[in-house]
Amino acid sequence: MLEAFLSSAIAMAAPILLAALGELIVEQGGVVNIGIEGAMLCGAFFGLTATWFSGSLALGLAAAIGAAVALNALFALVVVNLAVNQVVAGTAIDMLALGLTGICYRRIFGVTGRALTITPMRPLALGPLARIPIVGPALFDQNGLVYLAFVLVPIVGALIWRTRFGLELRAAGERPEAADALGLAVYRLRWQALLMAGVLSGLAGAYLTLAYANTFVEGMSAGRGYVALSVVIVGRWRAWGVAAASLLFGAAMALQFGLQAFGTAVPYQLFLALPYALTIVMLAIVGGQAQSPSALGAPYARL
Amino acid sequence: MSAPRSAPARGGSAIARLAAAIRPVAALILFAVVIAIVLALVLLTLGASPVEVFADLWRGAFGDWLALTDTLVKSTPLIFTGLAVAVAFQGALWNIGAEGQLLIGALAAGAIGPALGGWPHGAAIVAMLAAGAGGGALWGAIAGGLRARREVNEVISTIMLNFVAAQVLSFAVHGPLMEASGAFPASAPIAAAATFDVYLAPSRLNFGMLLAAGLAVACYLGLFHTAAGFQLRALGRNRRASAFFGIPIARMTIGTLALAGAIAGVGGAVQVSAITHRLYETLSPGWGYEAIAVALVARLNPLAIVPAAVLFGALDNGSQAMQRAAGVSPELVYVIQALVILTLLAFDASATGALRAAILGAPAAGPDDPGAPPAALPPAAPIATRDA
Amino acid sequence: MLEARGITRRFARTLALDGVDFHARAGEIHALVGENGAGKSTLIKIFAGRLKPDAGRVTIAGEPLAAGSANRARAAGVAAVYQSPMLFERMTWEENLALAGFGDGTGARDPRAAAARAAALARDLGFVLPPAGATLERRSVADRVRLEIIRALGADPRVLILDEPTGLLAPAELAAFLAMLRRLRGAGRAVVIVTHKLAEAIAVADRITVLRRGRRVAECRAAATDAAELAHLMLGDLASAQRAAPVADARIEGQAVADPGTTDPRCAAPVLTVEALTLDDGARRLLDSIGFTLTAGEIAGVAGVDGNGQAELIEVLAGMRTPGAGRIVMGRADDDASSGGAARSALRSAGGLAVIAQNRDSDGLILDMTLWENILLARPVRTRFTRRGWLQRSRAAAFCGELLERFQIRTATGPAGLAGALSGGNRQRLAVARAMAGAPRVIVAHDIGRGLDLRAAEAVRQMLREFAAAGGAVMLISGDLDELLELCGRLYVLSGGRLIETAAGDRDPARLGLLMAGAAS
Repeated sequence: MLEAFLSSAIAMAAPILLAALGELIVEQGGVVNIGIEGAMLCGAFFGLTATWFSGSLALGLAAAIGAAVALNALFALVVVNLAVNQVVAGTAIDMLALGLTGICYRRIFGVTGRALTITPMRPLALGPLARIPIVGPALFDQNGLVYLAFVLVPIVGALIWRTRFGLELRAAGERPEAADALGLAVYRLRWQALLMAGVLSGLAGAYLTLAYANTFVEGMSAGRGYVALSVVIVGRWRAWGVAAASLLFGAAMALQFGLQAFGTAVPYQLFLALPYALTIVMLAIVGGQAQSPSALGAPYARL
Repeated sequence: MSAPRSAPARGGSAIARLAAAIRPVAALILFAVVIAIVLALVLLTLGASPVEVFADLWRGAFGDWLALTDTLVKSTPLIFTGLAVAVAFQGALWNIGAEGQLLIGALAAGAIGPALGGWPHGAAIVAMLAAGAGGGALWGAIAGGLRARREVNEVISTIMLNFVAAQVLSFAVHGPLMEASGAFPASAPIAAAATFDVYLAPSRLNFGMLLAAGLAVACYLGLFHTAAGFQLRALGRNRRASAFFGIPIARMTIGTLALAGAIAGVGGAVQVSAITHRLYETLSPGWGYEAIAVALVARLNPLAIVPAAVLFGALDNGSQAMQRAAGVSPELVYVIQALVILTLLAFDASATGALRAAILGAPAAGPDDPGAPPAALPPAAPIATRDA
Repeated sequence: MLEARGITRRFARTLALDGVDFHARAGEIHALVGENGAGKSTLIKIFAGRLKPDAGRVTIAGEPLAAGSANRARAAGVAAVYQSPMLFERMTWEENLALAGFGDGTGARDPRAAAARAAALARDLGFVLPPAGATLERRSVADRVRLEIIRALGADPRVLILDEPTGLLAPAELAAFLAMLRRLRGAGRAVVIVTHKLAEAIAVADRITVLRRGRRVAECRAAATDAAELAHLMLGDLASAQRAAPVADARIEGQAVADPGTTDPRCAAPVLTVEALTLDDGARRLLDSIGFTLTAGEIAGVAGVDGNGQAELIEVLAGMRTPGAGRIVMGRADDDASSGGAARSALRSAGGLAVIAQNRDSDGLILDMTLWENILLARPVRTRFTRRGWLQRSRAAAFCGELLERFQIRTATGPAGLAGALSGGNRQRLAVARAMAGAPRVIVAHDIGRGLDLRAAEAVRQMLREFAAAGGAVMLISGDLDELLELCGRLYVLSGGRLIETAAGDRDPARLGLLMAGAAS
């Protein structure tokens, strides 16, 4: 029971964590990408479609990454080069992704919904470690993407705080005018951050269809992208904080399935609503945004 | 932003005043043209013929009396949600939650509706609308309170509340409010007394449209002719200065989001009272999100929300016909809405300032004027601004 | 060393610079003076590569400077220190320096190398650096300016440009700063100072260039001219030059300045009483038991360097922040028994206190709104034109028009024009006009003369004098001793959150400077 719950929690945390790490990089650069939900959705759909046609999971992953990166690139063009309102643009990107994936889904698979299933990615058991009671399967018998997500935590942290790229990126997020005056390429830094985030969102989306549920449903990202946004805030814009917050939400999502086994006394909608409500509660507890980059969300146009 | 332009032009000639009044309308027409071009491009890439599709669209939206009235009926919820978005946006409160606010308003109305059987017609209607307003206001106030007291970003909180609202509605129609036979997840029908009258049957025209238009006028007057509206717009344009001058930011935040929620909630109540007569899960095809496009096209001016809503209502109505005729899927409307928003944002962007000035005409420039007309949206301040 | 010919630059319809020549020689301190709007800031931005000129050439040590590139300017040896230091608040000071390219000279942005080099330079200059790993957020303005200067020097520049550097330094630091400038010049560099303080320019510079309305009107040796002549060149007509020639560059000359002779404060009726006002931010005490009384007809001054509680005091008086303790009362101390938050709302509803903020563009005006809408921001004005919640727009606009007339604010578009279209001087006049339009009993202004040209500054001062003469009380919070000594009767000093009242008649700039820098009284 507990094993299944822990395993599930970590598995559900993974896509959120991947997307959130990408968003962390982007926000340290001063941009808020509400469109992360759309990027995940595109990654999910196009990854699945590519796998379905080609039979190759690797190709599917590549397609997922490609689709998400393309969407993020559009977002970058509008938000960095044209310096428009990031919130509204991000919302538009989400709508765009919803529409595009819907149209393509119908075009390719028809209204009848031809059985769109694939052979999912197999979990990668890490040898004898996976047999440790209770935590073994949870920690060491997961999909490859899950391991990747957690391995990326210190890597992304180091990228942001210990590299020159990170230093310059944070400066761009703190005061883009000053960074520009110092000769930092603010636009290029933000583009790079968004492209990196595209890769991570693509992987997150791919996980949803290629590993977790081996099919696609319209709107399947179901708000995970928005949860990822909250995770960055709750994690106080630090990589380990993001990891911890992702686990928390993963646990909340895992509860859905765990507690449903307890019978129908509690309505299932409660569990479906739980992650979203929890997001709000966590944000309320954590409160102010005093640790975010100072220029987060402010469009910056080079003079 | 049309507020400065609608201020009395002192000493200008009649022609100058006429030109100033026409400018916002010209902008609206221009955007309609842009939408059409964008749609044509999208269709071409999908392999459909734009001409045929436009023809289908037109027929579907305005072709005959029934189509026309249906367009108006489909526009009505967009007016309500568009107002909910525009009013909040004027205060730089990014209300993405009109969807949830509408749903909760509908839920409240649909919950009391069946019980209003013995009431006089007028009172029943008022009760429905009041329930809708109350439910929506509550939903909006939650996000407002979180922002005012805990600095929770309202973008995220309103989106989350949308999801929660959908689940609450789902729970209600599967459970406590489920209609007697238990055959499908819908609520019991509302009492006849609580139903809006239909004008000119078999059309579905009803009082809701008039109510919406009236609300639009009220919002316009409120925003531009009252002290409270002034304070809201000031808050949206410069938060720090507003704080300096004693504008009560916390109160305005909660009040504005509650008001926006109430408006959206009334929209939900109207839908239940006039069109659906009961509750079910898929009550809204995304009106709350479409409202963002509507609000942007209207440049946040409540009066312009009405024609903008009709434009999008026509698109929604026509797209169903379009789907039947040309096989283009209904999700296309999402793509169109998204492209409209992005195009409008790009049009407003500082980088395209010269283009904009050339098309719309540059306003009188002062010594320090960089030459760009004020944009439709209030400036997006950094998310982490602390309110002293 | 730095030579510019024929520099021209437009902004939309304004010609900011018109064929300006400039020549700063190696080993000299060259002052660039002019009114606000004369083009000084634009010119040095062009030198620093932050702006591209529309026409003209700049050469550094004989080599042409590629226009519009901050990187190239830096590579050519131009370093600039700006009036508002552009530093990264939530990053550490070492990271800030590293970002600015400060370090071992290899171009790698390494915070550790930056810290080491900064320590060495600071020793030479006699500066004190912040503790290791401290973010900039809580550092004082003086700290930041010091870091900026260290940063600029770290690049070992051939040309060092300082934009209004002395405004933010305490008078005690001024002497050390000027001495440092002289040392820098000795190393064969050209130092360019932009300033509007004529006496400073004459005292420290070797040569002076005067700009007026985008044109160079004079270049001369400092020894060969005086403040009056410079003012004349800056303004262009003798009458206003005589009026505006600063009464006091007393800080430099070391003379006491006479009291402008307002009524003896102790005889008149108190209009505003503040007692034991205290404000804490966590462990930091921002305002420490501040108390004072303002009487009718008085113009009181609060001298001090920014960062000692000025902004917080203004925010509390404006009602933006609630003090932890203390009272603010209109009238006598015993007129009102409320305190803390109640005092705040009492103030607001009484409407007798008008506050003019330091940063007019972000705190005072809404640039996107029309002039008459900006006037309405002031609560007493808004109340006047509101009937049962409804705004009387045309009456408000008409009133705005009257205000523009009365205070001689020139605009092309009248009340319906946008505030953003006004020049800096006119914006400040508007802010003052708005403050007075509410018929307050007290006006509190922070840095009221900042960024204003001589004419506008004098106009504003006149407005305040008339207000006081009519029975109002004014409190000016400022770092500009000249301005305070000219206008104010009673003087206080705000230092480290404490308000110190100076002895009546004590107007010795040197002593005041010491108090401002935090020395015990």
